[in-house]
Amino acid sequence: MLEEALEHLVKGIVEHPDEVVVRDRALRRGRILEVRVHPDDLGKVIGRQGRTARALRTVIGAIEGRAVRIDLVEAPGYR
Amino acid sequence: MTESAVEAEQAVSAEQNEDELTRLEEEGEIAADYLEGLLDIADLDGDIDMDVEGDRASVSIVGAELDQLVGPNGEVLEALQELTRLAVTRETGERTRLMLDVGGHRAARRAALERLGVETARKVKETGEPVKLAPMSPFERKMVHDAVAAAGLRSESEGEEPNRRVVVLPV
Repeated sequence: MLEEALEHLVKGIVEHPDEVVVRDRALRRGRILEVRVHPDDLGKVIGRQGRTARALRTVIGAIEGRAVRIDLVEAPGYR
Repeated sequence: MTESAVEAEQAVSAEQNEDELTRLEEEGEIAADYLEGLLDIADLDGDIDMDVEGDRASVSIVGAELDQLVGPNGEVLEALQELTRLAVTRETGERTRLMLDVGGHRAARRAALERLGVETARKVKETGEPVKLAPMSPFERKMVHDAVAAAGLRSESEGEEPNRRVVVLPV
């Protein structure tokens, strides 16, 4: 559910929603939601001084009831 | 100006107001879609009200168990508003000043700030001394400034964000 919620939030704000992929990765250090976006959208999901990334973390953390690590990365294969 | 020219001008301005209203309603609808999607996925019960207040679209999520979408000091609400504005801008290509409320949090906060403004203005009138209030966000300071002005006094903001605060001044 959580990765679906994050995917919805990100798809709604980017220029290339079809390229958004969210992976829920359970690592030894804990859970990470990794969001891949089109390279042109990376700046958008991070936002000025990381504002948008922070907003995503705040809302997803609120839904989960505790802090969730979210990594925002470029989808591979573009450059 | 001839009478018909005045009428033509009024018609143009009415049409502009109409366009503006349609634009704000459209903003509200885009925001509602975005938020409804989130509520569905997160399995949260909430209804979405849309309105236009002055020159802003206003969207409220109303329902019982929404505290988690407000968060401490309304920080989750602010984050959700920020994302919702970005979603609206993506669709319209224009900046938006859309206001989001959750569970009446902003409305209650606004009423409390109005009371604070009125109460502080009364104290300053009595004592003739300026009063400094606690640090607040720009939106909250505006609520207080407006309430103080309505009570017939002047106020200004001093200090740097995030510690910028309202000072209510004696006459």
